[in-house]
Amino acid sequence: MEYPQLFWGIIIWMIVWGIAGSILLRKRYLYRDLDTSNANFVGAMMGAATGPVGLLPMWMRTPELNNRLIVLPTIAAVTLLAAAFAFSDPQNNCVVNGSFIASQFTNGLIIGIIYGFMALGLTLIFSILGVVSFAHGEFYMIGGMVTYFVTTVWFPGISPILGILAACLVAFVLGAVFERMFLTPMYTGKMDRPIEYGILVTFGLAFTLQYFVQAVAGANPVKAKRFFDFPIVRLPSAADPWLVKSSRGNLELFDTISISNPRFVAAVMCILVLLALLYFLHRTWTGKALRAVSLDREAAAIAGINPDRMNMLAFALGGMIAALAGSLLVQAFSWLPQVGNIPAMRSFVIVVLGGLGSLPGAFLGGIIVGLVEAAGTGCIPDAQKAASYIPAYGMIVLTLTLLLRPTGLLGRRFAGGSHGKF
Amino acid sequence: MRQQVPNLLGILFLGFFLAFPFVYTGGDYDYIMHIFIVGFFYAILASSWSMLAGYAGQFSFGHMGFMGIGAYTTALFCHYIYLSPEPTNLCAEFSIGGVYLVIVDPIGVTSTTLTQNCLRQALETWNGSVQVTAMPVWLGIILGTIMGGVFGLLVGLLVLRLRAAYLALFTLGFSEILKATISAEIEITRGQAGLETPALFQNGVTLFGHFYSRTDKVPPYFVMLLLLLVCLAILAWLARSKFGLFVRALREDQDAAAALGVNTTRYKVMVFVITTMMAALAGAVQAHYVGIVTPNSLFLLQMSLVVAMAVIGGVENFVAAAIGAIIIQFVLEFLRSSFDIGGVTVDMSIWRLVFFGVLLMVTLRFSRNGLIAPLIDYFARGHVARETVEKRGSAKPETEAGQ
Repeated sequence: MEYPQLFWGIIIWMIVWGIAGSILLRKRYLYRDLDTSNANFVGAMMGAATGPVGLLPMWMRTPELNNRLIVLPTIAAVTLLAAAFAFSDPQNNCVVNGSFIASQFTNGLIIGIIYGFMALGLTLIFSILGVVSFAHGEFYMIGGMVTYFVTTVWFPGISPILGILAACLVAFVLGAVFERMFLTPMYTGKMDRPIEYGILVTFGLAFTLQYFVQAVAGANPVKAKRFFDFPIVRLPSAADPWLVKSSRGNLELFDTISISNPRFVAAVMCILVLLALLYFLHRTWTGKALRAVSLDREAAAIAGINPDRMNMLAFALGGMIAALAGSLLVQAFSWLPQVGNIPAMRSFVIVVLGGLGSLPGAFLGGIIVGLVEAAGTGCIPDAQKAASYIPAYGMIVLTLTLLLRPTGLLGRRFAGGSHGKF
Repeated sequence: MRQQVPNLLGILFLGFFLAFPFVYTGGDYDYIMHIFIVGFFYAILASSWSMLAGYAGQFSFGHMGFMGIGAYTTALFCHYIYLSPEPTNLCAEFSIGGVYLVIVDPIGVTSTTLTQNCLRQALETWNGSVQVTAMPVWLGIILGTIMGGVFGLLVGLLVLRLRAAYLALFTLGFSEILKATISAEIEITRGQAGLETPALFQNGVTLFGHFYSRTDKVPPYFVMLLLLLVCLAILAWLARSKFGLFVRALREDQDAAAALGVNTTRYKVMVFVITTMMAALAGAVQAHYVGIVTPNSLFLLQMSLVVAMAVIGGVENFVAAAIGAIIIQFVLEFLRSSFDIGGVTVDMSIWRLVFFGVLLMVTLRFSRNGLIAPLIDYFARGHVARETVEKRGSAKPETEAGQ
C-alpha cells in the first residue's frame, strides 16, 4: 500500500461519522417520535458516506426512511471505501488489473451462490423449528464424505449423481432420526428453556459426528475426482476463441474470466436444486404446509397441518441441503472431518445478515458474503495472510450487521410460536 | 443428616486433593499430577461456563477463545517485554524512572535470532555487564485476566442485548477468528510453532519447607487448585447474592425480569465479563504451567469438551460442573489406550470423544441437569419437598378453621 495514511484516515473518518450518525439520528428520530427501527442503519451509512453534509439535512428534516434512503447511502459508503482503497494503493492488482477484477467478481458470485444455498438449509431449519442448528457444518462434511466414499472408495467409476443422491439420503435420514430422537421434546413442553436445549443438543450432535467421521474415515484429507468434464467449446471460432474457450477442467469467458469446473458445476446444480426447492415450497401441499408452519405454528395446526411432522421434514431437509452443498464441493476442496467448521460459521453469518428465517435473505446474504470474501482475498496485499483471514471477512460483516441492523437485511418479525423468543 | 452429605463429601474431596501430592506414592507420579492439574484447569472453565450458561442462560461457545486471550496476552507480554537498566539503542524502549522498558522486535520463527533480535544484539555488545530482567509471571497473568475481561466486555456489549442464539453464533465465530489471527500473524505469535512461556516459578519455590524445582508438579498443582477454589468461592458468593437472583430471573424470563426492574443487559454483560475473566485467568496460568501456547488450544474440540464436562456434571450447578470436569478428564485419560477387536485396531483416542458426544446428547435429553447435580440435589434438597408437603398438610386445617 503506497499511501496507508490516506486509507486509514478515510476509514477513521467514516467510522467516526458513522458512529456519530447512528447515535444522533436515532436520538433525533426518537425525539420527534418517529419510527426508529432503521434510523441506526441509515444514520451510520449516511454518516460514513457523506459525513456531516448528508447527516445535517437528515437531522433537520427527519425524512421517512424508505428503501431508497436505506440502499443509496449504503452503496455510496461502499463506493467511498473502494475509492479510498483504489487511491491509496494505485498499484494493487485488484485496482489496475481489470480482468483480475472481473475474474474475482465472477468467482465470488459463483461461490456466493453455493454459500447462499448452504445457508438456505440453516434458515429453513430456523424458520420452522426456531432452532439454530450448530450441526450444519457437520451435515456439509458428511455429504462430502459420503460422496467421496461412494464414488471413489466403494464403487469407483459409479456416476457421481448416485454419490450425490446417496449423500442426500444419508443426511436426510440422519436429520429425521435426530429430530425425532432429540428435538421433539422441545415442543411437548417437557423441557424448560427449549431454545437453550436446542443449541446444546445440536452442538453435541456436531461434536459426535465430527469425531465419529474422524474415527471411521481417519484424519487425512481426501478429495474426489472432478464429477463432469466440460465439453470442448471454442466460440466464435476455433482460431480466435475470444468469447468462450473451455478445456476439460476450466472455462474461460472473454479471454479474461476463468472459472474452474468443480465450482461451476456446483453452482449450476445449486441453482437447479434451488429452483426445485422453490417449486416444492410454493407449489406442493407439503411445501405450503412448511411455510404455513413457519409463519404461524398454532394457526397451521388449526388448519390441519401436523407441525411435528413439518419439524422433522424441515430439519431433515435443511441437513440434506447442507449435505448437498458438501457433496458438490468435495470435488473442489480437500475434505477433512473438521472441514465443516468454517462453512458452518459462514452460514451463520449469512443467515444473520439475510435475516434469521428469511429464505431470500439467505440467498442474497450468501452472494454478498461471497463477494466480500472475494474482495478480501483479492485485494489485501499479502496474499498468504489474505487467505488465512477468510473467516474474518464474514465476521466483519456479522459484526456490522449486529451493530446496525440486528434483524438482518430481509428479517421479519415472527408471528408467534417459539420464534418470537429470539 | 442427609442434607449434610454433600458438605461432608465436599470436605472429603478437598482433603483428598490437598493431601494427594504428599500421600500418593504409586507409579507415574508426574503423569497423574499432570492429569489433576489439567483437570483443575478444565474445572475452572467448566464451572465458569456453567455459571454463564446454566445460571444466566447465555450460551457462549467462545469460552476457549477467552481462555486463549489470557494465555496469549501473558505469553506475548513475557516474550516481548524486558526491563533493562541501560538503553539498548536498538529496540523500541521507554524510560520509566531510570529503568528502560524494552520491547523486543517481533521476528517470528527464524534461525538467525541473534542478528535479528535487538535485545540479543545489545546483550552481545554489553558482554554480560548489564543484567536484563524478564517481566514477572504474575504480572502477565493479571494482564491476561484483564485483557480477557476487556474482550468479554466488548463482545458482551455487542451481542448480549440480542437473544440467546446470537451470542452462541457470534462467540463461535469470535474464537475461530482468534485462531485464524494467531495462526496468520506468524511474525508476532510464531503461528502453529507456538510461543514459549516461562514456567510459573522460574527459579523454583519453597513450599512447606521443601524446595521444589522449576519442573516440579507440586507448586502448579496447588496454584491451580487454589484458583479453582477461589473461582468456586466467587461463583458461590455471586450465586447467593442478589446478583445471582437477578441473573437467574433473567434466565427464566427475560421480559418479566426487565418488567420488574432488572437491567437485563447490564447483568448479562456483568456475568459474561466475570466468567470470561475466569477463563482468561485459567488460560494464563495454564500457559505458564505447560510452557507453550499454540493456537491448537482454541480448537473447537476443546470448547466441546468444556461443554460436555459442564453438561454431564450439571450445567445448573457449578460445583457439579467442576467435579464433572475432573472426573471426565480422568476418564478421558484412561480411555486413551487403543485395543484390538478381531484384528481391527480401535483407536480409542478418537472413539472416546465419540462416546462422550453421545453421552452429552443422551444426558441432555434424559437428565437435563447432568449426572452429578441431581445427586447433590437429592441429598441437599431432598428434605425441601418433604417439608413442603408437611407444611401444606399442617396449613390446611388452619385455613379451613379460618373459613
